[in-house]
Parts: sequence; C-alpha cells; structure tokens
Amino acid sequence: MIKIQNLHKQFDNLKVLQGIDEEIKKGEVVVVIGPSGSGKSTLLRCINRMEEPTQGHIWIEGVDIMDPKTDINKIRQKVGMVFQHFNLFPHMTVLQNITLAPMKLKHQSKKEAEERAYQLLDKVGLQEKALEYPNKLSGGQKQRIAIARALAMEPDIMLFDEPTSALDPEMVKEVLEVMKELAQEGMTMVVVTHEMGFAKEVGSRLFFMDEGKIIEKGEPKEVFNHPKEERTKLFFSKVL
Amino acid sequence: MTISEIFLGKQRYMYLVKGLWFSLGVTALSAVIGLMIGIFVSLLRISNFQPFSFISNPRLKKLSAFNPLSFIAKAYVMIIRGTPALVQLLLMYYVVFGSMAAPKIIIAGIAFGINSGAYIAEIIRAGIQGLDKGQAEAARSLGMSYGMTMYHIIIPQAVKTILPALVSEFIVLLKETSIVGWIGAADLMRGADNIRAQTFRAFEPLFAVALIYLLLTSVFTYFMGIVERKMKVSD
Repeated sequence: MIKIQNLHKQFDNLKVLQGIDEEIKKGEVVVVIGPSGSGKSTLLRCINRMEEPTQGHIWIEGVDIMDPKTDINKIRQKVGMVFQHFNLFPHMTVLQNITLAPMKLKHQSKKEAEERAYQLLDKVGLQEKALEYPNKLSGGQKQRIAIARALAMEPDIMLFDEPTSALDPEMVKEVLEVMKELAQEGMTMVVVTHEMGFAKEVGSRLFFMDEGKIIEKGEPKEVFNHPKEERTKLFFSKVL
Repeated sequence: MTISEIFLGKQRYMYLVKGLWFSLGVTALSAVIGLMIGIFVSLLRISNFQPFSFISNPRLKKLSAFNPLSFIAKAYVMIIRGTPALVQLLLMYYVVFGSMAAPKIIIAGIAFGINSGAYIAEIIRAGIQGLDKGQAEAARSLGMSYGMTMYHIIIPQAVKTILPALVSEFIVLLKETSIVGWIGAADLMRGADNIRAQTFRAFEPLFAVALIYLLLTSVFTYFMGIVERKMKVSD
C-alpha cells in the first residue's frame, strides 16, 4: 500500500532522513517512535509530500508520487492526515470543516456531505458540536473533529503526526480511543507518537527511528520487551 | 471679517464643496487602483515560481531558488515606499503624462493608486503570511489545490487581519491626496488655500478643512468598525 525506497531528506545541511526503505501493507498500523529530531515527522510528511523528499521514491497504492506527472492532490485525497495542532479552519463551523473538501473535491451535494459528516461526528462522539466554531472546543474535541474531517474524504491511509502531543493529559484518551476504533476497522495507519501504551496495544508494527534511519522495527511488544539495539534500549530506559 | 463673510462671500464655500468632491473622487479612484495593484503584487510576492529550480548544483542554490515574480514585487514596493509620493505625483504629471492631455483626477488617481498599491501589497502579504502555516497544510493534505486553499481557507481568514490595516491605509490615502494641488488640481486643500489667498485669513479656512478631513476619516472608521465587528463571529 505504501512503498518507500531510498528516501532521503535534507534541510540545507541537515540530513533529516538518510535512506529509508520500507513497505507498509493494507490494514497495518505502523507506529513510529524515536527521540525528537530523529526524522519521524519528516518521514510521515514525505508520505503525502507535505515535505518534498530530496531523493528516493514513494509509491502509494502503486502510484509513484515523486513522478512529476502524478497529480499529488489526487493522491492526498486518498491519504488523510491529522496534525499535532489540529489545524481546524477557525472561520468555519465544525460541519463546514468536515464538508468542505468532500463538496469541493468529490462534488458531493451539501445534503450528502452533511449526512456523512453527522455519521462521522457520531463516530467521534461529537454530533452536538456540529454547528459550533472550533474556538468553542477543547483540544481533545478539536482533534477528534480533525480526524472526522480527514475521514470525510474516505481515505485509504491515515497519517497521524503526534496527534496527542498538544493535548492536556486528560484529553489524550478520548483521541486514542477514536484512533483505536479506526485501527480495529482495518484502516491503514501510520502514527508518529510518544504514547507507548497506544503503540504497544494498537500498533501492528513499530519503527524505532534515530538520526534519520529506522534502526529497529518489529512487533511492538517484542521490540518493547526485547530491544536489540543499544540506542533503542537507552530510549526505552528513559521513557518507560 | 466675519466667518460668514470668509466662507459665504463670493460663494467661497464652493471651493470647499467642489474640492471635497475632487478629493473624494481621487481617493476612491486610487483606492480601487491601489487595491487591484496591491492584491496582484502581493500574490506575485508570495508566489512559488522558481523557474530555475531544475538547476541542482548546490553552488547555484541562490539561482535555483530565485523567484523573478517575487523579485519584481519586492523591487516595486521598495522603490515606491522609498520615494516621496509628491515626487511620484509630479513624475506622473510632468513626465508620464507630460505630452498627453488627461484629466487631472485620472493622473492623480493613477499616481496615488500606484503609491498606495505598494503599501497595500505589504499589508496583504503580512496578513497572508501571518496566518498559521498549518492552515494551508491542512487544506493541502485534504487534496485541495493551491488556488482552492487560497480561496476557501487563506483569504477569508487573511481578510479579517488585513481589514484594520487596510482601513488606516485608506485614511492615509485620503489625507495624502491633499498634495494634488501641486499639479494644479482643485481639491479640498487647494480650496482652503484659495480662500486663504482671497481673504488673507489663514486660521478659518485651514481649520475648516482640517475639520472636514477629520469628519470624513471618522465616518469611514466608524462604518468599517461595524464591518469588522460583523466579521468576528467565529473569534
């Protein structure tokens, strides 16, 4: 579903990604962990070309997204993204946030899009907030709306960029619950996170990154319980 | 000489009435021209046009990142903001329109429009670039094009932050037009000056004209305040 080959990313003289080769299959929930500055967010952001790779190739459902002939906007419609800071559109109601892209890009009627939006709001438990503006919502609510907004495009893949890092502790759970449900429904997910509990419980595979490389990967519980690399051990000894 | 003699004698108040219309006309014309130039130039400024990006030689990095559209916009803003409006007005009148007969209101409108356009371009650019980058990212990540993102997400939000600065730019513009007397146009300021010359009284006509400018800018500020408040529903 996602194939990454020899991916490099360089910001000026800073090498953020130094050769990533990986394949992610349909239905997998890949959790990416690692110290800050290890390149995990950059890796995620390269997958939908929010960040322009310096070198390498990425295929999404068989389409090379680095090919200049590829319409990246079409690819992005199939790849939802959830951000650390939610990035809801503050000038639109919750409902408008969710229906804008399906109406403009998939040419759904307003009625169709709103019906679907209410279903999604129900899924994230926020139907009663449909007509509110985002500034009236808590962080956890904002993030659940942001997930609903991404899901409204019916993506095949969901990317999560530290979705709970900007939340107050008591709001982390409600967001993780929604993500867990999504995972159980079979969504292909790539999640950059510091939530080790979530990684262990929901992740089907774990990447540990450091200095722009994936230095250890495998079944999350296995990696947590028996890390092979020294760097991984050191990291776990600090965060667990 | 009484106040009524100063203003009513020989119907001198007509200098102010006619001048008022001229001033308002020039301001309106240059506001429209300035706004069009400002929008256009700010879009050039923030454009992503890098025709030499195919050059991958790291030593030519400056060239490969060079954006000629943005460069033109920057140069325009620098030249216009760095020279006096009066010089620009006189250049427009004596040089650009030197051998052409055109109504003074048009010449002044173009000169002030070009002048104001530079300031407006900077106001718009700051409004757009001041927005959280995450807004554009969220829209693009949903698959929206650059144009759609601008239209649905960036511009509606930018307008709100731009509007107050734009209002003060229009106020500046109105007051700035008081130099059109230099090309012999009969505006509000020149009207007051004519009364001063005829009556040898400086205080009354100048005070009157100051009051009129103040009244105009106050009314304008008041109405724009209402508009701004209406736009703040989502804040």
